[in-house]
Amino acid sequence: MRWSVGTKIGGGFALALAILVVIGVMAYRSTTELIDAAQMKTHTYEVLKDLDGLLSTMENAETGQRGYIITGEKNYLQPYNAAISVIDPEIQRIRELTSDNASQQRRLDTLAPLIKSKIDELKLTIELRESKGFQAASQVVLSDEGKQKMDDIRKVVARMENEENGLLVVRDARVNADTQRTISTILYGIPFAFLLLAFVGFFTTRDIARPLRRISDAAELIASGDLTVSVPSNNRRDEVGVLTQTFDRMARFLQEMAKAAEKIAAGYLNVQVKPQSQRDVLGNAFATMVENLRGMTNEIREGVNVLASSASEILAATTQVASGAAETAAAVSETTTTVEEVKQTAQVASQKSKYVSDNAQRMVHASESGKKSVQESIDGMNHIREQMDSIGESIVRLSEQSQAIGEIIATVNDLAEQSNLLAVNAAIEAAKAGEQGKGFAVVAQEIKSLAEQSKQASAQVRAILSDIQKATGAAVMATEQGTKAVEAGVKQSTTAGESIRMMADSIAESTQAAAQIAASSQQQLIGMDQVASAMENIKQASTQNVASTKQAETAAQGLHDLGQKLKELVERFKV
Amino acid sequence: MDWNEVHRRMELAQASLGHTVDPTPGEKKRILKERAKVLAQEPKVEEQECIEVVEFLLAYERYGVVSSYVREVYPLRDLTPVPCTPPFVLGIVNVRGQIISVIDIKKFFDIPEKGLTDLNKVIIIQPDSLSAETPMTSVSGPIGILADVILGVHSVALSQLQPSLPTLTGIREEYLMGVTTERVVILDARKLLSDKKIIVHEKEE
Repeated sequence: MRWSVGTKIGGGFALALAILVVIGVMAYRSTTELIDAAQMKTHTYEVLKDLDGLLSTMENAETGQRGYIITGEKNYLQPYNAAISVIDPEIQRIRELTSDNASQQRRLDTLAPLIKSKIDELKLTIELRESKGFQAASQVVLSDEGKQKMDDIRKVVARMENEENGLLVVRDARVNADTQRTISTILYGIPFAFLLLAFVGFFTTRDIARPLRRISDAAELIASGDLTVSVPSNNRRDEVGVLTQTFDRMARFLQEMAKAAEKIAAGYLNVQVKPQSQRDVLGNAFATMVENLRGMTNEIREGVNVLASSASEILAATTQVASGAAETAAAVSETTTTVEEVKQTAQVASQKSKYVSDNAQRMVHASESGKKSVQESIDGMNHIREQMDSIGESIVRLSEQSQAIGEIIATVNDLAEQSNLLAVNAAIEAAKAGEQGKGFAVVAQEIKSLAEQSKQASAQVRAILSDIQKATGAAVMATEQGTKAVEAGVKQSTTAGESIRMMADSIAESTQAAAQIAASSQQQLIGMDQVASAMENIKQASTQNVASTKQAETAAQGLHDLGQKLKELVERFKV
Repeated sequence: MDWNEVHRRMELAQASLGHTVDPTPGEKKRILKERAKVLAQEPKVEEQECIEVVEFLLAYERYGVVSSYVREVYPLRDLTPVPCTPPFVLGIVNVRGQIISVIDIKKFFDIPEKGLTDLNKVIIIQPDSLSAETPMTSVSGPIGILADVILGVHSVALSQLQPSLPTLTGIREEYLMGVTTERVVILDARKLLSDKKIIVHEKEE
């Protein structure tokens, strides 16, 4: 199409205007003619009416004249006077009306003298009647001169009316023809114009409206959010073609934006959005949004990391605090119990200190008797030491004697050995003696066995002696230790005596101290009561503390979970 | 400490000591009777021909020498080692004025050595003075054999004597007379005395 839409619409309107002008001109012309014809016709009717008026005026004048003549009364002259006054203007008007018609002017020129003469005749008669009476006037009337004049007037008027009626017929015909032509113009011209304009309008509309409807449908879909539309572009180069291509580009741009938005929605923040132009508000906004989102996500990630780690630390710290609070509560509870016990103990101590004070008094006496007893025990110890000395000496003598026995045993053993050898030699000798030595051999054998026995016995004695030696050694040791123990006992007894003396002094001091302790422990008891109530308060507080820390721990756990969740959420965004 | 108990035990020990040293007449009678009973037993009459053997221990093995070759048994005292002699010659001893060389037959039989003590004995052997057979060699004088312990003189039936083990060869076989059923190795003193190898006769060149 080479024509632009404006050209097409303008062409259509121009065509319609042209047709309108043609029809209007034609109708104007016909109507103008019709008006002219209608005016001419009215003019004719006015002429006819004025002619009739003229005639009736004349007849009125004649009627008045006749009435006066007959009666002689002046009031019958009224119509006559009225007619006389109007007759000249009427003639003048007819002359003006028929100024365009030469023949009628001529007839008027003939009519005017006739009317003049008639009026003169009427005037004559009236004057006669007035002056001479009825006879004279009737004479004039009976002369028929007036009647003749009246007939002439009527003839001329009739001719004039005929003329005007002929004109009326012609003019009617002209009016009818004009009317017919106007009707024809309207009757054929308007349908033709209608058809032509309808045809042109239909094609023009179809040419513009269809593509526009497609675009508007697509716009409707886009408006409802469906971006999958595609507008097929044709090769039109008019505004519609341009609009279609532009719309297609817009739809594709929107689809790209939608894809980018979907990716962003899916968490891929690494999409690159290129703005179509410098003034691409949406694209620029998108790019800025993605950039901001990326930065924001990074910051959020860092923040969430910080939050998560902080939450972890808080959780750990809270857990420690909770366990610490629990331990504190347990410790406080134990302490409370302990304080209660201490209180009871203090009570007991208060009672005991009184007893102690009494006992100390008794102990002073006891320590006196203890001192005597220690002196006695020291004497006993000395006696024991002497005894131990004599025991030691006895044992040493015993040991020496057993040593002598040992020497004797060695000698016996040697003797037994020699006896044995002797017995063997005797046996050898006996064997050498042959048959005579047989008995001697038996004796030798016997000696040998005796030697063996004494050897065994000496061995046994030796073993026993060895045991005795050991026993005496142990006894010597024991005696020595006993002696030392006794000496230590003596020393200790002396020390004990000293101690007991000191103890007696101490006990005296203790008695005073115990009295003071009794007073102090009473005060202590009161103090312990206060401490116990204070501990009870602390216990309650620590229980509340434990509950609070438990809550804090739960909250920290929630925070921790939230941090983890946020971390997962942020992990879903790929920057 | 129960001193009464101590006193009682001491008295008891005293009593028993006196009792041992000085047996009661009844006890003395019983011991004498037992001895008489043992002595009264008829010694077994040896049907077979027997030899008297002096038994002794070398380490833990029992050895024997026919008693007719034994002059006497003597405790090992004042052993004087002699230089330049074979290892089996221990040394010399003085027995009542007579110098006798002592040999150690453990060296011949590979018996483990034991340290020498006063308890060691010397068995002095010499040629059989009673038997008619003349000495085979001109070996003069007795020889001492070292013994750990002297067990005594026993008679061994010749029929019980078994020849020496066939595995033993050389010098060992030469000195053996036989082995009894009680595993007493009987040495042949005659061969020992007559063996020239034992004689140390080193002349000056």
